[in-house]
Amino acid sequence: MSENIRPKALHNLEDLYKEFDIHAYKNISFHHHLRNGDFVLNMVLEQYLKNNVQHLNLFPTSIFPSYDGILSLLQQKQIDNITTNYLNGPVAEFITKNGLPGKLIMQTHGGRARAVIEGRNQIDIAYIAAPTVDQQGNAIGYKGPSMCGALGYCIADSQHAKITVLVTDNLIEQTIINPEIHGSDVDYIIVVDRIGDKQGIVSGTTQITTNPIGVKIAKNTSQLLFELGLIKDGFSFQSGAGGVSLRVTKDVKDIMLRDHIKASFFSGGITKYHVEMLEEGLVKTLYDVQCFDLKAVQSISRNANHIPISASRYANPVDSSRVIQDLDIVILGATEIDYQFNVNVTTDSHQTIIGGSGGHSDTASEAKVSVIVSPLIKGRIPIIKDRVTTITTLGKHIDCFVTERGIAINPKRQDLLKKLENSKLNIVPIETLAQLAYTYTGVPKDTKQISNIIGEIEDRTYEVIDYLYQK
Amino acid sequence: MSRSYLFIPGNTPSMLQNLDVFESDAIIIDFEDSVVDYEKDAARILVQNFLSQYEFKNIEIFIRINDALSKNFLKDVQAVDHIDITGYVLPKASPKSIKALYAITRKPIIPIIEDPMAVLHMEEIAQLPNIRGLLLGAEDLTKELHISRTLQGTEILYSRSRMVLVCHAYRIEAIDTPFTAKDQEAQLHEDALLAKNLGFTAKALIHPNHVDTINTVFSPSQAEINQALRIIKKSEEVQKGAFSLDGKMVDLPIIEKAKKTIAIAKKYHLL
Repeated sequence: MSENIRPKALHNLEDLYKEFDIHAYKNISFHHHLRNGDFVLNMVLEQYLKNNVQHLNLFPTSIFPSYDGILSLLQQKQIDNITTNYLNGPVAEFITKNGLPGKLIMQTHGGRARAVIEGRNQIDIAYIAAPTVDQQGNAIGYKGPSMCGALGYCIADSQHAKITVLVTDNLIEQTIINPEIHGSDVDYIIVVDRIGDKQGIVSGTTQITTNPIGVKIAKNTSQLLFELGLIKDGFSFQSGAGGVSLRVTKDVKDIMLRDHIKASFFSGGITKYHVEMLEEGLVKTLYDVQCFDLKAVQSISRNANHIPISASRYANPVDSSRVIQDLDIVILGATEIDYQFNVNVTTDSHQTIIGGSGGHSDTASEAKVSVIVSPLIKGRIPIIKDRVTTITTLGKHIDCFVTERGIAINPKRQDLLKKLENSKLNIVPIETLAQLAYTYTGVPKDTKQISNIIGEIEDRTYEVIDYLYQK
Repeated sequence: MSRSYLFIPGNTPSMLQNLDVFESDAIIIDFEDSVVDYEKDAARILVQNFLSQYEFKNIEIFIRINDALSKNFLKDVQAVDHIDITGYVLPKASPKSIKALYAITRKPIIPIIEDPMAVLHMEEIAQLPNIRGLLLGAEDLTKELHISRTLQGTEILYSRSRMVLVCHAYRIEAIDTPFTAKDQEAQLHEDALLAKNLGFTAKALIHPNHVDTINTVFSPSQAEINQALRIIKKSEEVQKGAFSLDGKMVDLPIIEKAKKTIAIAKKYHLL
């Protein structure tokens, strides 16, 4: 629908549906950069509820606990299918319990971008919460009263949806240079009072762990990376915003300072800790697909080497410029891991959906060394199982599993094992770690119910690697 | 001999379960201050069951029992004395209370010196049977003295110095008071270094994240290990009681000290 004309500015959603029939387009997408502070998703879905639009197919990049609008539509049976990368909270619990008339498809960040670009995910309307928009429809996420940082996950949607709608609380006169979303892709701009709550957008929960077990895991991890010779000039690194991952980042930083090492790039979700390292000259570039705190948001607008990128540039497996193809190390979490090194971050051990891949499978697939960090026992449940409840990332992509009590290396990485032959670290088979955990917990009974499939785990290759079941 | 003595509460399963993860040379499972009165029984049962079920190699396990005047004193000892623990840490120690404990157990005892009278009786305490070492309890001591604790620790300098002299005189361990500011890593390092330079052989600690710093400070440094190796090598080569190395005289005490350094380095896998 997009043509090279100025997008139409409207002042409310009701006016938008005078432009086209709300019932005519069933496949609608949202992004999650405003996280629990997002007002736009609920604002839009209220219209779908009010107009009783049936047989909707939702494509939110993630679903957060505050996304009440989805829950209301589910309760009214107005949604047939949901395709997303991550969900937790009431919507996840509802789907776990009730399923969907159609199915839940869990994709990866890179896989979703690919699916949108290749038309596998056919988006009719992309509703994009946009913190700053100019009169031409160019948009950025890292400025404005509701700034959220990079807008990486919705770039493909803006380019490939039949209709692209920006919802903003900051329509500006001056033209945005180097926009993340280009006005030529935008059809409508809706100006509202507020698109989000600052507190929920950057929650400030990204803190380095001081939990002694987390500290020990991080210490083991940084020592492992050091002994593998991975922390060297020009190396690239990605860690999430979890407390242990951030502690690994801090410990890696200490090694870099001690040995005068500089990294080439950090990628993925960016926090103030990554920004500090950029500003201290320890890393040359940050490739940012999502900001986790205010300091990261502010950094984009003042530092040319802090570069917001799209999900496709980040991790689309068929994007030749994807950043993670050059990634040396990725640090990832796990809810469960099994003897084949398959990792679950989608469901808990009672089958309730609590997350999803995000970039887990993408980065594990491509990084030269992928490292899972986790306590051996979580909430009295051992993390190692014969077979994970749900496969989020295939074991063939996982190289190392680091716990507070020892480290297991995937036997397929004999090269890594050889490098660690004389290590003082406790390198043991994953089965040994499992037995150690069982001495404290016993072997948990398998309670998995597999009668009703409610969803699929779709890898970035489009291969279905596991199923989700009704609980 | 241990470098680090980590206190963990006796009523916290998650801490007990991980006591061998923290890398402290010794663990002091606490039945005293960190366990409220109505949980004392539960702590005793938990610790008794836990230590009966699991064995810990290369870690010394002490129990800090309640003081000798407490109604829990006897119950604490009875709960764990049959288990293979290293010994007891006795709070509010005095010659009399130590004798009371010695009357019911033959396991090693580490008295906590935490009131002015105990400071005055340190020498007598050090000579009692089964005393493994003395532990300075600066928080209670300064409370008794009505003075504030400072990062510099000048207010406890006399007690520290006296304890070190007594412990070395009677060849027992001198264990310094814990550093209580959880997140002040630089000051922790400074405080531990001060203790080591005063002559303490170890330091108690109340947070697992302090273990690394304490173990590092109370271990021989790489430079010390290298120098000790050179001294031993030269002494073996020259076969003399005294010789010159780097323009300095080396005699028997220095050779013995070098051997001790290497033995400690080996014990803590630093070689």
